[in-house]
Amino acid sequence: MLVDQTAEFDVRDYLRKEMMPHFLCPGCGHGIALRALLWAIHDLGIDKDKLAVVSGIGCAGRLSAYIDANTFHVTHGRPLAFATGLALARPDLQVVVISGDGDCLAIGGNHLIHACRRNLNLTCLMLNNEVYGMTGGQVSPTTPETLLTTTTPRGNTEPHFDACALAAAAGAGFVGREVTRHVPKLKELIREGLSHPGFAFIEVLSDCTEILGRKNDLGSSPEMMLRQKSELRPTAYRDTVDMPFRPNHLPTGILARNDRPEYGTSYRRAAAAAREAKP
Amino acid sequence: MSGPSPTASELAKAMPAPSTLAAAEQQPVNVLVVGVGGQGVIMVSKLIALLAQQQGFEVKQSEVHGMAKRGGAVFSHVRFGERVWSPTIPLGEADFLIALEWAEGLRWLNYLKPDTGVFICDTKQIVPPFSCRDRRPGAALGYVRETVDEVIAKVAEGYAIDATHMAEQLGNDRVANVVLLGALSAALKFPASQWEEIIADFVPKKTVGVNIEALRQGRRWIEEARKGLPHPSTVPTPAMPVHADYRVRLEITPEWCKSCDICVKMCPERCLRLNAERIVELASPEKCTGCRMCEWLCPDFALRVHLDPVRATEGAVR
Amino acid sequence: MNAIDPALAGRPAATLMSGNQACALGAIAGGCRFFAGYPITPSSEIAERLARSLPEVGGVFVQMEDEIASMAAVIGASMGGVKSMTATSGPGFSLKQENLGYAAGAEIPCVIVNVMRGGPSTGMPTRPAQADIMQSRWGSHGDYPIIVLTPWSVREIFDETIRAFDLAERFRTPVVLLYDQVVAQLSETVVLDVVRDTALVERKWASGPPADYKPYAAGADGIPPMVRPGAGYRTHTTGLTHSENGFPTQNPEAVTRNLSRLFSKLDLNREAIDAWHTLGCDDAEVVIVAIGITARAASRAVELCRAQGVRAGLFRPKTLWPFPEDALRAATANARAVLVPELNAGQLSREVQRILGGAKVDGLFRFNGEPLLPSEIAARAAALVKGA
Repeated sequence: MLVDQTAEFDVRDYLRKEMMPHFLCPGCGHGIALRALLWAIHDLGIDKDKLAVVSGIGCAGRLSAYIDANTFHVTHGRPLAFATGLALARPDLQVVVISGDGDCLAIGGNHLIHACRRNLNLTCLMLNNEVYGMTGGQVSPTTPETLLTTTTPRGNTEPHFDACALAAAAGAGFVGREVTRHVPKLKELIREGLSHPGFAFIEVLSDCTEILGRKNDLGSSPEMMLRQKSELRPTAYRDTVDMPFRPNHLPTGILARNDRPEYGTSYRRAAAAAREAKP
Repeated sequence: MSGPSPTASELAKAMPAPSTLAAAEQQPVNVLVVGVGGQGVIMVSKLIALLAQQQGFEVKQSEVHGMAKRGGAVFSHVRFGERVWSPTIPLGEADFLIALEWAEGLRWLNYLKPDTGVFICDTKQIVPPFSCRDRRPGAALGYVRETVDEVIAKVAEGYAIDATHMAEQLGNDRVANVVLLGALSAALKFPASQWEEIIADFVPKKTVGVNIEALRQGRRWIEEARKGLPHPSTVPTPAMPVHADYRVRLEITPEWCKSCDICVKMCPERCLRLNAERIVELASPEKCTGCRMCEWLCPDFALRVHLDPVRATEGAVR
Repeated sequence: MNAIDPALAGRPAATLMSGNQACALGAIAGGCRFFAGYPITPSSEIAERLARSLPEVGGVFVQMEDEIASMAAVIGASMGGVKSMTATSGPGFSLKQENLGYAAGAEIPCVIVNVMRGGPSTGMPTRPAQADIMQSRWGSHGDYPIIVLTPWSVREIFDETIRAFDLAERFRTPVVLLYDQVVAQLSETVVLDVVRDTALVERKWASGPPADYKPYAAGADGIPPMVRPGAGYRTHTTGLTHSENGFPTQNPEAVTRNLSRLFSKLDLNREAIDAWHTLGCDDAEVVIVAIGITARAASRAVELCRAQGVRAGLFRPKTLWPFPEDALRAATANARAVLVPELNAGQLSREVQRILGGAKVDGLFRFNGEPLLPSEIAARAAALVKGA
């Protein structure tokens, strides 16, 4: 008997079809990441009415508009802060944040580390395409060294972030990384993150083929996809952070998981005690 | 079962040797037991060896069981007689080939004595993953294609038994190997009571009853088969494991496709292409296996794989 | 409605409290159930009080990592359907401006308290100023409507905080509660045990079939009903210019249609929004226009002038933005001069001049961290009458 676990998941059931086709460039990995997210949501049987997606500005930030849920496209860098308010005010909602590498690590870096520290029940998907794509291809906090961008015309000389190491160090309850090429694995990772009671940070290594790829002659979309996890990911990561790196590869999968108390639960417990203490 | 075995000559004086085993006094009897890991090949061969030993013969047994429990091939040589020198049976020298799995049985056919060898085989099929050489739905497998009649015709004396089914009827499919042992027991002509005693000694107490019943059924089956009812060749051809219970249909939403080429290049079967308008289309439907790689990797959700169930009347076997 | 904070139950109805305390109590009385903030002088007492009181009424207090985040969290909570507020002062108010513009553009109700201190930049954190009058109206980029309330007493801070929530919810807009450091931190005796004549305003929620619902389609009042996540309407909210369906658009007709409604939605409801206070304007030769602590000084200045035979009056906008211009025109119709004393280099006077013309409007500005004295205001008012 054929086992086809994916037969019942049709991504279109979770899309605002009237908004399609989406605005992303051909070959952009973000669409694949969106599928994986919606697949994980389907797997968990999350009610679309109870799903809230908050996204920032940039290519990744636009994805929320395509999801058939309660979606909020907020200001640049701030989706985690908006989502913190939403999740604290409405603990009955499943709140997912979609952010990009610039949105999450540069302008929104402070919110990321404090969201990790606070450990509120949110799932943050950081789609890392290593460039500011929407604004035309400027260097981002995750652009690998030597790559050309419009603001590094002689090659990037700035070191770049390892977002997962940052999130783990800041205390996130769940940290994971996956490439868009491995869709079922990515889906499983997101599913784990959504199920985790606490802050889940998931970095998705995505491809910007039209902007970063063209600028650096990285090849066609399928060629860039085939190269995921190899040449494009430099070894310099190994020297900068204390995580178990394999040569030429970023580690993927679940990278950190802890059982620190979830902030909303702790707060509500203390609030209930305060109410009881009141005559 | 323990302690020094009496020599064959001592036993020969104490009890009359069965006349049918007279030949063993000159030449060893060679029994080859084969199957896949977990079926009980080793147990069957140990029982034969023990019984032969109790009957006063020198016994040599050799086995390969490294793949036991992993579904790999397992075989065991049992030789007994007045004197046995080598532990392995040469090609074309086996008197009996006991096969617990259909394809494994066929693999060893050339070990049987061409003129007198007896082939006793379960029609149970365990299809190994590597025989799925073609991912197309309903594609032929790299597995035995001969019918039972064709196989039986190749040997001097052959019995294809649906022993697994008989064992299932008894309530424990794991005693299929003892059904085959029962069939062998009819041919070897050791006293039936001895077979039952040794099984009662050997198997876990809770399963003695079902094992003895399995032995009796196997023995009865072969006795009836030898009387011509039913003739072994009337055993129905076992069903081939054809997985044609779905048909792949690729739904393409052309207005969503952005010509990125990812599906075309990442398809394991290379069955997609971009048409003149640079929109994806299915170029080789017959190659599509429905693996969903294109659906998963399409950043624009332009592809959807449907695996439509095929009704039994349309040719699916199971 | 009993507006006494539960903490005061059983105590005398009259109590001594500061403006910031009254703001916190007004917030709870006004239905606020979410506060996000960041410590800043001179507004921190509001956060401190709400950190204690909100959990007791089932609300949530959270101290965010920065001013930007606290504004964002407030909007996030309000998008979840909960009445929400933050409080800050000048530097923090500057940081909140981008998200404040988001709330205005996406029409998310929320209340922002700005306790004004001396500026520019870090300025004088413990000294009063009234220099955020223009920023509270125009601080975020682009055109947008906003409501700004300026209470002048502890008691009025309490009332205006409640009104701020009512206006925010009713008109789907951010409402700024703008008062200066003196009013914030002075303590005076107040009686909060009052009966309101109207119930708290609740947001207009979407009804009818979700398929027909358009998040930014409004009726005659210009205010579209909102959705609470989980109620079956799965809508999109964006800071991008959007059409009635909530999705981004750059279609000129759709942009004109929706932004015109946004820009005019408060003007359609001025009767409910405008609020002002006059003192002796009917026969006034000179009308003093002031807010906050300066208005308190000006009310004394009116008495001082009248004692000298100068018929002075006071016009005090309670709703600063949109500015109650009709009321100002009426109050100054018979005046020969208008004086605008303020703790800045001239902001309110600019608006008054815009409305009344420059000829009879003069200003009295101070920006050294000291309030204007009644005698100083009275002297200038009297001089204006004599000179006019």
